[in-house]
Amino acid sequence: MTAVSAGRRRPVRPARVVLHLFLGTVAVGWLFPILWAVLTSFRSYEYTAANGYVSLGGWTVDNYVTAWRTAEFGKHFLNSAYITVPAVLLTLFLASCVAFVIARFSWKLNIALLGLFTAANLLPQQALLIPLFRMFTEIPLPAWMSDSELLYDSYWGLILVNVAFQCGFCVFVLSNYMKALPHELYEAAMVDGANVWRQYWQVTMPLCRPALAALATLEVTWIYNEFFWATVLMRTGDKFPVTSSLNNLRGEFFTDNNLVSAGSVLVAIPTLVIFFLLQKQFVRGLTLGASKG
Amino acid sequence: MSRPRSQAEYLARLVPPSVAGLNRRSLLAGAAGAGALLGTGLLAGCGDSDSGSGGDAKSVSVGSNQSDPKPKDVVAKVMDGFKTSSGVTVNINTVDHNTFQENINNYLQGKPDDVFTWFAGYRMRFFAAKGLAGDLSDVWGKLDGYSDAFKKASTGDDGKQYFVPASYYPWAVFYRKSVWQQRGYEVPKTLDDLNTLGAQMKKDGLNPIAFADKDGWPAMGTFDILNLRINGYQFHIDLMAGKEAWTSDKVKKVFDTWAGLLPLHQPDSLGRTWQEAAQSLQQKKSGMYLLGLFVGQQFSGADLEDLDFFTFPEIDSTIGAKALDAPIDGYMMARKPKSKDAAQKLLTYLGSKEAADITVKNDPSTLVANSGADTGAYTALQKKAAELVGSATEIAQFLDRDTRPDFASTVMIPALQQFIKDPKDIGGLLTSIENQKKSIFTS
Repeated sequence: MTAVSAGRRRPVRPARVVLHLFLGTVAVGWLFPILWAVLTSFRSYEYTAANGYVSLGGWTVDNYVTAWRTAEFGKHFLNSAYITVPAVLLTLFLASCVAFVIARFSWKLNIALLGLFTAANLLPQQALLIPLFRMFTEIPLPAWMSDSELLYDSYWGLILVNVAFQCGFCVFVLSNYMKALPHELYEAAMVDGANVWRQYWQVTMPLCRPALAALATLEVTWIYNEFFWATVLMRTGDKFPVTSSLNNLRGEFFTDNNLVSAGSVLVAIPTLVIFFLLQKQFVRGLTLGASKG
Repeated sequence: MSRPRSQAEYLARLVPPSVAGLNRRSLLAGAAGAGALLGTGLLAGCGDSDSGSGGDAKSVSVGSNQSDPKPKDVVAKVMDGFKTSSGVTVNINTVDHNTFQENINNYLQGKPDDVFTWFAGYRMRFFAAKGLAGDLSDVWGKLDGYSDAFKKASTGDDGKQYFVPASYYPWAVFYRKSVWQQRGYEVPKTLDDLNTLGAQMKKDGLNPIAFADKDGWPAMGTFDILNLRINGYQFHIDLMAGKEAWTSDKVKKVFDTWAGLLPLHQPDSLGRTWQEAAQSLQQKKSGMYLLGLFVGQQFSGADLEDLDFFTFPEIDSTIGAKALDAPIDGYMMARKPKSKDAAQKLLTYLGSKEAADITVKNDPSTLVANSGADTGAYTALQKKAAELVGSATEIAQFLDRDTRPDFASTVMIPALQQFIKDPKDIGGLLTSIENQKKSIFTS
């Protein structure tokens, strides 16, 4: 407000004040639940039970210690990594292959192919639950791949499901991005004698780095957060991904919300780390993909 | 069907018989060689994994929904006890109770553990009737210390036993002794007493009856006990099994009585969890609360010792007040366990006095089903609860365990919430329940 009275600056119009008020309110609205959870996670249940949540006090870090121990976060974080890392890499590789073909070559079926991949995105996953479940319980895996000896209750099955469901979106984004690359690049590459594989791997892929980084951020978050397939296609509690740990924190009859808050904060950390690491690429990727030519 | 146990066997299996012919043996050797080249470490790893043995049982797997820290610990201790007494290792697969419950259908049709935790009553009979659970009549021949009420609760529609009870807890009306002493309240013996007491509590600035139904199931407890008091056990069970009409005057009377009691209940219950309702009891803002024994989880230390209960008062003197809800938890066997022998041995142990003793020693919030167990370690509250259930003439399992799961969750939860929101249109509500019941129970 002091800057306003300095006079040299542009006069503050009422519209601007309203805008900032609005932006401030929205920002607080978004941040409030998160900050509330963080705040709650540092308070003891006894204190909040006695004084209600609209109070201050009862500070402790015990919730984090208890949450980590009772929900076995260490083990489940690893499980999540087993699923997320291969699934994201495989999705990006396969999707970029399809996208490259769609963007680089003009065939009659190009649009149909793109349509197929995009349409699959619109299919509700739950609708496929029963056929997939039946299939997975019938497909045997050798014991050295999974101790369940079936695709059911194995990481392989979950990776496959995630790759299948995420490919559509990635193909859609990547093909649009690749279409924006100048066609002359490929002509030059062909003149230099580069075959299709080289054009894909050494010309296209390096140029797609921003888009790939953006997709990687999104895919990591999505697959990491994925809970539905993990609970349906797994039966061994010890193999569940970290999202299920939160359920472990909910008692059968009694739920300590402070403990669950601490658990939620822990579970949210990896996605935040990924986002901040790739944030620059992420934003750049979005805008680059948007403008054509 | 035998599944390959090693990489080599797996590779050998890929060869169709027509090709294999005479050379099958050498191919197998070749495959084994290839497998060995690929990684001896992997092969070695397979040897000592738990997937071993088919006939000679060295291990048995247990699917457990006991994911809360305390019960989880107790399950582990009981299984350790089995290992010491029999030498068979138990692999416990703990899945959080909510996921376990929601996935039970998938779980049982997929590849379930040899032994798994489940509930007595309709929920057990439902899966037994579908052939998804193993017959435990042999095991029951070796068990003792169980009353007939428990055996009845473990028996399927075909007269065979499919369930070994482990623990249970009763539903009753809980209150704080200190509050009642201070104000001179007395335990109500009849519905009229309850109404008078409620009016007095209101005058004293208390919520007479704490109440919460955000999650949908707590109100089922109120319905159960009213139906048991007004119409008796047999009618209640028949109603749950879809054999009686919801539109009958008998059911209407239950809801009429409930509507009469609603003003005594804590208002705005649909936005409250039972924990919050229990806290209002703990904070001395409510006078009493009808809930299961687990209400004690919201109390600690001196508050817990201050907690007492009475069974819901009599409504009809010809029916009495001897029946109650006391859900039983226990174990069942998969339809095709890897080793039936080991699974049955484990179940016999789980139903034994030794297993019950371990549970009593380690978990003060539950009651063990085996009457032979040493209950010296029970708290006063537990002792009283065990006496209450022991003196009960009939034990119901709670609405969502006594009827079809889909009926309980898709029909009864919304219906009871609707009733709490608007207790006036009982006739319309019951017609709607009856119509939905017909379509569900015939499917």
